[in-house]
Amino acid sequence: MISLEAISLRKVYGSRTVLADVSLALGAGEFVSLLGPSGCGKTTLLRLVAGFERPDGGRIQLDGRDITGITAAKRNIGMVFQAYSLFPNMTAEENVGFGLRVRGEAAAARCKRAQEMLDLVGLAEHMHKYPHQLSGGQQQRVALARALAIRPALLLLDEPLSALDARVRVQLRDEIRRIQREIGVAALFVTHDQEEALSISDRVAVMENGRIAQLGEPAAIYEEPESLFVARFVGQMAEFDAEVDGDGVRIAGHTLPARRAAGHAPGERVHFFLRPEHVRLVEPTFGLPGLVESRTFNGPTTTFRIVLEGAGRVLATVPTAEARHAPGETVGITWDPAAPRILKLDGGVPTPET
Amino acid sequence: MKWLWVPLAGYFALPLVATAVLSLWQGSRGYGFEAYVTLIHTPEMWNSLLLSARLAIETIIAGLVILVPAVFWMNLRLPRLRPMFDFISVLPLVVPAISLVAGITAIYTGPDWLVGTANFLVIPYVILALPFTYRALDVGMRALDLRTLTEAAQSLGASWPSMILRVLVPNLITALLGAALLTITIVIGEFTFANILLFNTFAVYINHIGSTSATQAAALSLLAFLLTWSAMLGVALGGRKAAR
Repeated sequence: MISLEAISLRKVYGSRTVLADVSLALGAGEFVSLLGPSGCGKTTLLRLVAGFERPDGGRIQLDGRDITGITAAKRNIGMVFQAYSLFPNMTAEENVGFGLRVRGEAAAARCKRAQEMLDLVGLAEHMHKYPHQLSGGQQQRVALARALAIRPALLLLDEPLSALDARVRVQLRDEIRRIQREIGVAALFVTHDQEEALSISDRVAVMENGRIAQLGEPAAIYEEPESLFVARFVGQMAEFDAEVDGDGVRIAGHTLPARRAAGHAPGERVHFFLRPEHVRLVEPTFGLPGLVESRTFNGPTTTFRIVLEGAGRVLATVPTAEARHAPGETVGITWDPAAPRILKLDGGVPTPET
Repeated sequence: MKWLWVPLAGYFALPLVATAVLSLWQGSRGYGFEAYVTLIHTPEMWNSLLLSARLAIETIIAGLVILVPAVFWMNLRLPRLRPMFDFISVLPLVVPAISLVAGITAIYTGPDWLVGTANFLVIPYVILALPFTYRALDVGMRALDLRTLTEAAQSLGASWPSMILRVLVPNLITALLGAALLTITIVIGEFTFANILLFNTFAVYINHIGSTSATQAAALSLLAFLLTWSAMLGVALGGRKAAR
């Protein structure tokens, strides 16, 4: 069952193509994040779906109905904005009831629904307060309640957490997900924060220059990037030039295991990506030799920055309890053969043999 | 700089005090409220005051109905037109009233209820109040996150009129109040248009009474001053209350 379907959406501002042929489908109750650097078109896509902008090409369907030509006011899509979207002249309860008021619902029904929604976001006791009497996090909760009060067919979230401080951000993020699950409404969430996108989504669409570079489950996006852009954008990865050599790769004169080299032609030059948490520190005689340049304490983990001989720098994150090396020491690095990601020079992945 | 208020206060207060003293003068019969009592019992004074009050209300309504949507749209969708709006809004301050009145009477012809009555004055009065009304509305709207509020209202299903009446106007109350009170002071005090177009407004009546009774004119000026002064005070208090 498909909730939202965007088909070949295009948006052009003057000579700049902001969205080039973007297609995306959300299942019923699915939570999808649009992740990308600023200017990648994620906000534009959201605004097209909301109806604040008109596409220059393509169609938008909601629950099987074409809504491309329908105004924002008639789409029945709830939206939570970045900040300052509550009506300053209304209490929390009046804000939440606003959508029902313009729909002509009776005051009693409106009031009941508003209370239900404020209860859901945990703000029942603040219903008579005005926005300026509420904290940033509370305001966003009210905004969420307001967007859901109209029983929307779809929920849009435009970086709703970006104006909040770190602790509130994590808390509210989990709460948004809980409430969205509870109500069962499909949600499209725009963010430039990868951790946010990876932690609460069913699927993540990484966007680059007006296109969806990769669409998949968070783990797939993180573990199996399919393009250089996604590999470099999502999380931290060390990147080396390598050459496929049998069942492994050859980096700076050393041959090391890498299971994903198997799909590539022997001798092919490739990009080799490795995440800090997959790096293992061993004796210099094993693996790739390098020099510990610095050591950073993160609490549960410790991160080493290591200069490799002839291959550049790599970060290694290990549990603090196992972090024994000091800056200036020579170490060797190795990894689980399944961990490294290998991409062709042009960024592609080899098509699996059938 | 503490002593500076002495000449300043004198500069403003002395004429007022002198006017007040003159208004209380009863010739050989000493001082008293004779001029005020006579005024209160003069129907022409009341008629002119009521006319000016009515014109003020009409001007406020006409001005806001035109300017609220215009300034809203400019702020929301056409911010690049701001310099043009700013320029037009100060024109009434630059063009002398006498040229305005000549131009307006030459251009406007129309039905009798408009051109033949004092209602016609609303047209130049809206123009005269434009600099103040526009400023007040623009400042009020710039203080709001118009785009987000508009989009939030739209996504919740509000039509444009509903959005303007339920979201925009309630959040602009201070600005609207300021615009209204400034318009009142302008309309109550406006003399040139009304006098040339031969309508007996409050300001015209003050001028007229001045040629027949100096004490009554002084009394009336003082009353007019208090009236506009309280309107200004209203703006200041309204602004302070909203700031809290």
